Amino acid sequence: MIRQWLIFQFVAMVLVTSSEITLASEIDFENDVYPILEDNCLFCHGEDEQESGLRLDRRGYMLRGGDSGLAAVVPEHPEKSYLIDVINHVDEEMAMPPDEDKIADEDIDLITRWIQAGAVWPGQMDDIAEEEIDHWAFLPRQTEFDQDCIDDFLREKLAGAGVSFSDTADARSLIRRASIVLTGLAPTPERTTQFIEAFAEDRDAEERNAAYENLIEELLASPHFGERWAQHWLDVIRWAETNGSESNLYRKNAWMYRDYVVRSFNEDKPYDEFIREQLAGDVLGHGDATGFLVAGPHVPAATVGQEPTAIRQARADRMDEVLQTVGASMMGVTIGCARCHNHKFDPISIQDYYSMSAAFQDVEFGSRFPELADDHPRVLRSTQLRSHLDDQRQEMRSNGWAWVEDWTGYEEVHFPTQTIDEMRIVFNGRWVMLDEMEILEADGEHRNVLAPELGAVITDNPSTHVASQPTSNLNNGVFGTKGWRGVSKKGNKETPWLQFEFPKTVSVSSIRLSSNREDFLETDYLEGMNKSKYGDFNIEILDDDGQWRPFASTAAMRKKSTDIEQRQALQQKIQEVIGALIVEGPQPAFLAQFVEPVETFVLARGSPESPRDRVHAAAPNRLGGDLGIDPESPGALRRQAFADWLVSPENPLTARVMANRIWHHIFGSGIVPTPSDFGLAGAPPTHPELLDWLTGQFIESNWSMKSMVRMIVLSDAFKQSNAPNEAGLAKDATAQLLWRFPPRRVEAEVIRDSVLQASGRLDPTIGGPSYRIHNVKKRYAQWEVVDNHGDETWRRMLYQERMRRVDDRIFTAFDFPDCGQIRAKRPVSTTPLQALNLMNSDFVVNQATLLAERARSERGDAIDAQVIRCFELLLCRQPSQDELEASIEVAKTQSLELLCRTLINTNEFAFLP
Amino acid sequence: MSLGAIALSQLLAKDNLLASTSGVGPIRPDIDDENPYAARNPHFEMPAKQVLVIYCPGAVSHVDTFDYKPDLYKLDGQKPPGIPQVTFEGPTGNIAKPFWDFKPRGESGKMVSDLLPNLAGMVDDFCFMHSLTTQTSAHPQGENFMNTGFTMEGFPSFGAWVTYALGCETDELPAFVAINDPRGLARSGKNNFGSGFLPAAFQGTDFTASNPPANLGRPNAYTSDADRASVSLLQRLNAKHLQQFPGDADLAARIASYELAGRMQTSVPDVMDIANEPAHVHKSYGTESGTELKKAYANNCILARRLLEKGVRVVQLFNGSDPAGGNGITNWDSHSEIEKTHAMQAEIMDQPTAALIADLKQRGMLEHTLVVWCTEFGRMPFLQANGTGRDHNPDAFTCFLAGAGVKKGFSYGESDEFGFKAAVNETSVYDFNATLLHLMGLNHERLTYYHNGLERRLTNVHGHVVKDVLA
Repeated sequence: MIRQWLIFQFVAMVLVTSSEITLASEIDFENDVYPILEDNCLFCHGEDEQESGLRLDRRGYMLRGGDSGLAAVVPEHPEKSYLIDVINHVDEEMAMPPDEDKIADEDIDLITRWIQAGAVWPGQMDDIAEEEIDHWAFLPRQTEFDQDCIDDFLREKLAGAGVSFSDTADARSLIRRASIVLTGLAPTPERTTQFIEAFAEDRDAEERNAAYENLIEELLASPHFGERWAQHWLDVIRWAETNGSESNLYRKNAWMYRDYVVRSFNEDKPYDEFIREQLAGDVLGHGDATGFLVAGPHVPAATVGQEPTAIRQARADRMDEVLQTVGASMMGVTIGCARCHNHKFDPISIQDYYSMSAAFQDVEFGSRFPELADDHPRVLRSTQLRSHLDDQRQEMRSNGWAWVEDWTGYEEVHFPTQTIDEMRIVFNGRWVMLDEMEILEADGEHRNVLAPELGAVITDNPSTHVASQPTSNLNNGVFGTKGWRGVSKKGNKETPWLQFEFPKTVSVSSIRLSSNREDFLETDYLEGMNKSKYGDFNIEILDDDGQWRPFASTAAMRKKSTDIEQRQALQQKIQEVIGALIVEGPQPAFLAQFVEPVETFVLARGSPESPRDRVHAAAPNRLGGDLGIDPESPGALRRQAFADWLVSPENPLTARVMANRIWHHIFGSGIVPTPSDFGLAGAPPTHPELLDWLTGQFIESNWSMKSMVRMIVLSDAFKQSNAPNEAGLAKDATAQLLWRFPPRRVEAEVIRDSVLQASGRLDPTIGGPSYRIHNVKKRYAQWEVVDNHGDETWRRMLYQERMRRVDDRIFTAFDFPDCGQIRAKRPVSTTPLQALNLMNSDFVVNQATLLAERARSERGDAIDAQVIRCFELLLCRQPSQDELEASIEVAKTQSLELLCRTLINTNEFAFLP
Repeated sequence: MSLGAIALSQLLAKDNLLASTSGVGPIRPDIDDENPYAARNPHFEMPAKQVLVIYCPGAVSHVDTFDYKPDLYKLDGQKPPGIPQVTFEGPTGNIAKPFWDFKPRGESGKMVSDLLPNLAGMVDDFCFMHSLTTQTSAHPQGENFMNTGFTMEGFPSFGAWVTYALGCETDELPAFVAINDPRGLARSGKNNFGSGFLPAAFQGTDFTASNPPANLGRPNAYTSDADRASVSLLQRLNAKHLQQFPGDADLAARIASYELAGRMQTSVPDVMDIANEPAHVHKSYGTESGTELKKAYANNCILARRLLEKGVRVVQLFNGSDPAGGNGITNWDSHSEIEKTHAMQAEIMDQPTAALIADLKQRGMLEHTLVVWCTEFGRMPFLQANGTGRDHNPDAFTCFLAGAGVKKGFSYGESDEFGFKAAVNETSVYDFNATLLHLMGLNHERLTYYHNGLERRLTNVHGHVVKDVLA
């Protein structure tokens, strides 16, 4: 096991003993109980060996328990004592002693009675096993330093290793490096030339500094800054626009969260606010921020199956995804380890894990209409469009007409107001399905008279009744495939109908109904979604003779709305307004749903079938995790309190983790090289003091991420040349100490975006729905790439639909994450598939053509000028004489297009200078 | 260690995550960055150098194929106590006897049903495992579990782990090839052969006998002369660039990757050229008889053998796809009309698979090739309520091994008298995967990769090698 090769452990077990109080007891511990333990338990759970981290040779250890996180002994409560469970073989998989006979019944009885009587162990009644934290990341930051700038901290270490900073990089490298690191885009040739002039070596230092600082300010202010840094954040939380799992369905409008992240980085939103909003944006006026909580994959109900144990397991898995997201991204700790037992390395117990899950117990994977401020453009637009709609509906009504409105995911049937006690809907079709139905009052708030609390009685045609899908499903608020169904079997002359009896007379004027509104709310790009599975129907009311009489028919409404000219025009206008409302008004988006939190229990060994003690919302106990809230607090308050704990200046992790992340994305490796694991299993910081100093600066700057980036890229360390030298390579080959700027391959996005920018075809639009490269698919089918290169795709790759575990057939090969697991840093691998994709894909061939066209149109007929332009556009430099000659040769004998394809494939293009 | 190896090993050193030398910690593969596919030594010597995984998505019914349960005939149509009310798809029905007759086969007399007559004829070469259990009743999670060791998304596949550990014996072909079913990808899609958090270099490259890898061919826009000129200029520009960074392994590796890509452009079409195989080979695999799907799958089987012959380390061959991937049936998931749907699927799988294994044997390749036939779980001994099919059974199913390092004509473990639950020598998927790695000369506890706070393994923190199946 992993623990075996750890050099040290973060906890030191300390037994605190104090004065004695001797308790009277009928059971003689020394003579009766201890020998049983000695014979059966202590060989593996004693002073010499502690299997599963458990010791039973001192009372304090017994109370604490082992790795399972469950107390072995709870005095006076044998039913809560894990020791009693395991010696009784309650769970065959955890039966003690192992591979041996059960302890004799009378001995078990004796131990049970001993615990019942208070587990009296003479001389040890005040023992407590405490754990001391001595791992740096969980201790408070250092606040006194000998140095006061990044370079000085680095220089000290470098001097210790006998190396020093390299010279400043040349201007061209510097602008290319800064542009890519800050915005993910190479600079234009024009901006490069401008900078080279301003940064020329013959200028004085002040001028050069000003030129560089101007460049950095320009890049920080660029809207592309937010795109670049959003990409990093989305990797960390494995955000994607599909669920993963079998059907891997698209998550409707999930991109709204992506745009929130881009905006936050661009606005330089303080990091503490960024955290608060992502955890509790629903109550902070940033509904789109909560997409964070459901960034991970999940298995939708339809593919979980019907076994209750599987359903409980799936919910526990979803909660685990939420905790992993919070833990890895904001805390820099691998929370998931404590799901089944106490964390092996870090001060997180199984109780902590489930207390954290209590803090997020109201989170569920799904869509909602995000909360928007009153002056949000979507809200304003919606008010305007609703008012148009009201006018047009009024006109319909004034003519006494009835009509059907198509709202994509559902229909609304409007008819002249009926004041009634009963109503019937008789379907034309023989096989019908509805998930929800609302009958709306004519006046006021258009209350739904089928709301369960109003007590309407719904029955259906007994001859078409389907027992497993009863009428009670029609108003249970659950959308999806498990609604009501009516089936008229062969030979049955009747079709399905529904009958409604209202406890009080109601005046109603419309019906809203759907077959599967879940699809409309939750997903997209699915074949056959939003199709009605109930067809046309008649609405009937009782006449004076007590007979059902149809007064409206949807088939007739549809016919009249096409046949009668005036009506057709009006119907068309209504549909147009509805169409606009669906797109421009508030929209449902996959940004999490919030449910009533249920009670949370510790699940022994991670199994939902083994609930133990109830826990309340808290952060890890040994990290000062008391949230100071009422145990019955509503979900949002719990999440807010958790966010408060995270961003408290005393929290040793949050700010350090983010400061390190920013460093990591700039230099390619963090001061802590494992950016999402600050625990004992992660790597220690190379420059612990520098990290704490940076963290202090970060908090003092009001958690400004741009200030942090600015400070780092203005350092000499960042501006150094990346050229190797013998001394550096010999002492510190990977430049961990930063004697040079470490070279590295750029990410998939940088390659694609920079090609588009070079060809002049990059559409710089920020945000909005992702560009599509995949098909519209069947529910249970794989996504397939349809077009990954056409002009609709000429946007930054951040906006390419991010499908979990789907290969885009070009850039996925460049270590683009599959979004299944947290990805704090992307591996960089080199494969022949990358070469094939970059040499032969339609995208590259197409862009090479556009590049050549651009070079020709900008430089005219002279081949050498064209070739030079290609170098400028792709590499931001002039070719050397031999490069020029060889390139002209290729351009002449083959084509300029081929030269562009070749340049796109060069190492120079793919590596950060 | 070559110059190229510096980069990755230093990267690991930088993370302070180098292998311990104590004999119990991780064993890091000695990866040459200039060629991450270069062959590497196993942890210990075993006969198997290559592995062929035949994966049957959808869940093959063990009680209708290899796990003979006479009691099912006695209890046919009854519902004895102990059968749950609800399983994965809903309410349960009565016990159903096997839909095909069982007969003793080979010298070992192993009872196998008539559903798979060709494979049945080879039982003396197989090592059956009858007491497998999994953690889930759902296909995608089951596929993930079987192929990546976790039910969740995002973990490296078995093939990726093996490739990461061992590299490859050929420098002309990908180290790990996934041959998808002619109908398309299985339900977990790319997870089944993905690299998860391992570097992308170790993912399976997917192609079939009829579909080459993406972007393999020269674009129509360029002539072969042009293509050569482009490669030659690229080499020249890269060589000049490299002069500024002497000895840089990452740059050198990228140059080398273009050379390997160039070789693949010739060698992949060569290996895919199965039309040149002799007529008797086509006949034995069945590429010209039966349904179109069977013919296509038979071609894939020939491709599998050709890839193994060339030294590809891992070949993963799929017999079934996602439910929406084809006409009629798409995999072994027979919730209804099992008699018809399992027979349709068996027609595709049986002859070509048997011919493939026989071919490997006849060529002496089984001496160094491990063959694994597997599926994600079993099917229930009873029908679904009022139904004609069997629901998912996570508590007992059968897989078999053959070839290098495994016993022949042997059966390990037993399910209970109904085939409902594993009864003797219960074997988890962790144990199964631990055993497969062991057969490849790899210690499943020491083949690890640091990711997000943990030394990750194919077998998580579980798994025991099933020693009884080792030859």
